[in-house]
Amino acid sequence: MSHHLFILSPSDTPIYSLTHYSTKPAASIGSPLSANLPNWSTSAFAGTLTALSGASSATQHTTGGTVRVGGGQDRHVIQMIANASLDAIEDVMRKENGMYLKAVDKFNEWTVSAFITPGNSKFLLLHESKNDEGIRSFFVEVWEVYVKTMMNPFQSAQRTIVSQAFDGRVRASAKKHL
Amino acid sequence: MSRLSVLSTASSIEHVSSNVPRPPRPSILDRNLNKTRVADVSGSAFSFLFSELVQYTQSRVTGINDLERRLNTLGYRVGSRVLEITVWRAESSSKAPKREIRLLPALMFIHTHIWRAVFGKPADAIEKSVENADEYMIVDNDPLIERHISVPKDFSQLSCSSFTAGIVEAVLDGLCFPARVTAHNTPNSQYPSRTTILIKLEKSVLEREEVLKT
Repeated sequence: MSHHLFILSPSDTPIYSLTHYSTKPAASIGSPLSANLPNWSTSAFAGTLTALSGASSATQHTTGGTVRVGGGQDRHVIQMIANASLDAIEDVMRKENGMYLKAVDKFNEWTVSAFITPGNSKFLLLHESKNDEGIRSFFVEVWEVYVKTMMNPFQSAQRTIVSQAFDGRVRASAKKHL
Repeated sequence: MSRLSVLSTASSIEHVSSNVPRPPRPSILDRNLNKTRVADVSGSAFSFLFSELVQYTQSRVTGINDLERRLNTLGYRVGSRVLEITVWRAESSSKAPKREIRLLPALMFIHTHIWRAVFGKPADAIEKSVENADEYMIVDNDPLIERHISVPKDFSQLSCSSFTAGIVEAVLDGLCFPARVTAHNTPNSQYPSRTTILIKLEKSVLEREEVLKT
C-alpha cells in the first residue's frame, strides 16, 4: 500500500514530494474493471491507460516481493490526480475553516486528503485506505517541521525544500502514522 | 575608523572561542517552537537594527515611494513567518486546528494576536472606512518601531511603519484576503507619532464575503 505526499506553495507550485510504502497490510480492493481489460502491454501508453482505468493490478511492478504503485511508470498519473484535486480543495477551503480536510476528492482507488497551513501552503496526501486519525497526526507532525523550516530566513514559501533533515523527519512520521 | 575597530574586536573574539571545542549545532528541526514564545528582544538592539535597515534601504532607492515599498517588502518576509508561527502556537495542540476564513475575525486576529506577538501589545483601534467599503484601518498610537525615529521635514510623507504594513499585508495574503496595505502618519495632539495602517482589500475578497454571509 503506498502513500503519496505533495507539499504545495501558496501559488500551488510543488515544493516537496514523498512516496511512502506502508508496511501495514493493505485491505485488498477488488477492481472489477481490471479483469475485463485486454492486455495493454503492447501500447506505449500502457501505464497511463491502465492506471487511469483503475486497473491497478495490471500495472503493479514487483520489486523485491513488495507491490509498488505510483512510484514508477505511472508516476505522472499520481501527479495528475493530485493536480486535479486542487479544484475540489479550493472549493472546500473557502467554506470550511478546518485546516485538515479529510477525503476531499476521490479518483478510482485513490482518496485525497489535504491540510492547509495558515499561510495557505497545502499538504496533499493520496492514500488508498481509510485512516483518518493516522493521517491527521501525520499532517500535524509535518506541519510542525514545515513551520520550523519556514522560520529559516534562507527558506521561502515558494522555494523547493531540499533539507535532508526535513526529509528524514517526514519519512519518520510517515512510518509512524501511515 | 570606529567601524574598523569593531571589526577587529569581533575577529579576536572569534579567535578565542575557536580554541574551545564547540558542541555540534543542533538542527533547527530539533528546537522547540514554544521556547521563545514569551522571550522579548531588547528594545535598543531592535531600534539599532531597524535604523540600520532603514539606512541601508535609503541608500539604494530613488524616492520616498520606493523606500516605503522596499520597507513593505522586508516586512512581508517577517509577516509570512509571524503568521505561521503565531497560528501554530495557538492551534497545534488542538484536535481540529482552524483557519480564519471570514474577514472581520481575520482583522481582529491581526489587531490582537499578531500585534501582541510582534509588539507585545494589541493595536489601539481598528476602524472601517466610512467612504469606502473596501478600506479598513488599524491604528497604533505609539508604534514601537518608530519610537526612536525622527523623520526629517523634507521627508514628511515617509512613514517607517511601512514595515508594519508589510507584515499586515503578508498575514492577509496568507489568510487569502489579498489587499494593498500602506502606512500613514496621522498625528494628533496627544500622540505625535500616531500611525494608521490602511488596508485596501481586493474586490474578490468583498465578493467572497457576500457569498459567505448567506
